[in-house]
Amino acid sequence: MTVSTISIRTFGAGGIHPDPHKEATVGRPIETLPIPSEVRLPLSQHLGPPAVPVVKKGDIVRRGQKIAEAAEGGVPLHATISGKVKPIDKYPHPTLVTAPAIVIARAAGEGTEPLEFPDNPGWGVLQREALLERIREAGIVGLGGAAFPTWRKLTLPPGVTVDTLLVNGAECEPYLTSDYRLMLAEPVAIVHGAVLMARVLGVHSVVLGVESDKLDAAEVLEATLHQLAPTGVEARVQVVEARYPQGAERQLVAALTGRTVPPRALPSAVGVVVQNVATAAAVYQAVRYRRPLLDRIVTVTGPGIVEPRNVLAPIGTLLSDLVSFCGGAREETTRVVVGGPMMGRAVPRFDLPLIKGMNGLVLLTGRGPFEEGFGPCIHCGRCLEACPLGLEPDQVSLRVEAGHPLESAPFGAEECYECGSCTYVCPAARPLVQFMQVAKASLRRRTPGRSAA
Amino acid sequence: MSVAPAIDRRRFVVTPGPHLRSGESTSAIMWWVNGSLAPAAAWGVAVFGLPALAVLAASIAGALGAEWIGMRMLGRRAALGDGSAFCTGLLLALTLPPLVPPWAALLGAAFAILLGKVIFGGLGYNLFNPALIGRAFMMASFPLAMTSGWAPPRPLALHGFDAVTTPTPLMALKEHGLDAATRLIAGPGGWAGLALGLRPGSIGEVSAVLVLAGAAVLVARRIIGLTIPLAVFAGTWAVTAFSGAAWIHLLGGGLWLGAFYMATDYVTSPMSRGGKLVFGLLIGALTGVIRLFGGYPEGICYAILIANALVPALDLWFRPRRVAIAGTPS
Repeated sequence: MTVSTISIRTFGAGGIHPDPHKEATVGRPIETLPIPSEVRLPLSQHLGPPAVPVVKKGDIVRRGQKIAEAAEGGVPLHATISGKVKPIDKYPHPTLVTAPAIVIARAAGEGTEPLEFPDNPGWGVLQREALLERIREAGIVGLGGAAFPTWRKLTLPPGVTVDTLLVNGAECEPYLTSDYRLMLAEPVAIVHGAVLMARVLGVHSVVLGVESDKLDAAEVLEATLHQLAPTGVEARVQVVEARYPQGAERQLVAALTGRTVPPRALPSAVGVVVQNVATAAAVYQAVRYRRPLLDRIVTVTGPGIVEPRNVLAPIGTLLSDLVSFCGGAREETTRVVVGGPMMGRAVPRFDLPLIKGMNGLVLLTGRGPFEEGFGPCIHCGRCLEACPLGLEPDQVSLRVEAGHPLESAPFGAEECYECGSCTYVCPAARPLVQFMQVAKASLRRRTPGRSAA
Repeated sequence: MSVAPAIDRRRFVVTPGPHLRSGESTSAIMWWVNGSLAPAAAWGVAVFGLPALAVLAASIAGALGAEWIGMRMLGRRAALGDGSAFCTGLLLALTLPPLVPPWAALLGAAFAILLGKVIFGGLGYNLFNPALIGRAFMMASFPLAMTSGWAPPRPLALHGFDAVTTPTPLMALKEHGLDAATRLIAGPGGWAGLALGLRPGSIGEVSAVLVLAGAAVLVARRIIGLTIPLAVFAGTWAVTAFSGAAWIHLLGGGLWLGAFYMATDYVTSPMSRGGKLVFGLLIGALTGVIRLFGGYPEGICYAILIANALVPALDLWFRPRRVAIAGTPS
């Protein structure tokens, strides 16, 4: 039986079906970026304190060499190209405006050969602690966008047990195809990585969820599962409906297990851990070859790019190099989004580095949302139908607009994970996600021990 | 198309996400509503002639003028292009008798906008359907014109229009009983005549077929749903069934225009399906009660206004099910 004949699972209420816009890159295999002349590696690539540099200005570093030690709860950083370290200073950062970064200028010659990562016999029988150590040392973070350190997500708090690992190949964001192309190109790495993470977690059930617009990827993964026939786990591929935000953890958990993650809890509260397919592939590389996370696949796309591509590029590559590799940006480009267009953020410039969690670079044209302002709520109810959590963005927005964000508690602002479905459908172009953010921040600033207003 | 140089130093606009939108807009919705009413309005002009055209023009002009003045008074830019004031003027005109004086229509539309909408804070904040506020104002202020301005439709008789007034089927039913109403309905063209609007009625409600066609466009575009209209019909039927004239009540008067265009107004109707069901049933039942037992032959206008007052309560009673709390499995 092939996956295409299996029933398609999905989450319950809400969600939207935006135009997928994936046609520009869906048929393009992963292409490797020529080594860029410079990489900028921010010491902060995820939440938490920045990594601590172990190299200094003028050092010659080799690709694969550790250049910054992990801070508490974080991961180390590695040189992604060989070259010479420039002064460690503050540089423009995609999310933090500016942040300290290690800049490496490409150099050749003596002592600049990339480190080699030979096969480690015995990788398949490593125990939990050894696996976690290799995953942490490789600098792996969640590659689906959130960039949370993977070793921490695989380390459950005391008293929490899980029974299922979900591997997220939904890729529900419009325009993005990096996970899809990875599933076609590296199914063995994904399956091995998934089994390794299942072993760390001590779970037997592994489900790989792939959206129904990527049936060929689901079939490739299933064929790989049959071929590798991993022992000790019960692994299967499950097709999920192509529907936004299917790839959000709560929705994927609902679709694949029927379980509901309680408000403000993590999926582990219902016995589930979710990891992205690219993270799984990186875990395999880390465990088998002790190969750090050096490159990532990023979909460079959108109406503003001349030649949309799926690019394998070193972490730290400047967006301008990615854009040049893809034929340049059209004159009519007005907005640049890192990540997917639904949950990604707009950046003002191209001299920003590719960071670990960045799965897309989308160049958009035309006037952006809110440039025309927004209108009053007309109570059409579209946001209520779109919210996958059954929250009430309309009510929250009215209260925030009136200057009473604390009164929005009964309408679920604190549960919102900002998928943007409400804002996508709003005919008045109201910034509902941003109203939710304001309400959430206000509610979290309240003193604890309050009653739900 | 031109390709930027290798190092692209441009600066771009940073807008908040999500960076894709459905493309639906308030003004597009309003103009779809207005456009879908155009055939019914055109047919009203075709069968009632220039007086109907004058009423339409006066009502729309009154609404647009009042919106402009009202928004200026609120210190805001008047968004006349968003189609909402136009919609109020158009809807009001369609509920009016064709022989009502145009100046009364202009006043009614201005009242509808200023005291039906602007006074609450403008679009989105009004409690009651503005067009129906305007109609209620006209019923109170110009009762004679509003109840005797009916004319027999004379298709395409744009010249030599005679201002002989005639009762509508619902007025005949109310004052002279079922036989009189049936005789009036059994006029030219029989049932087809009734559906096509060859019976006395207001400018926009004479042709049930065209109102239905317009509403079908809105349903197909997913601008309105069927919950409220079907509940209105069910409510009217339930209350009038015993009278033996339920079919006249369901086909006659402003029920179709009211059910599909007035009761479905986003701002003044509930958002949840449960709320919509109760709201529609209430409107339908009240319409029947007013027509059977009240002082007016027509009831949908006041039925909707009364139900409008309950919308905030209905929105509180019927709220979306919180997924994480209700624990809905998929």
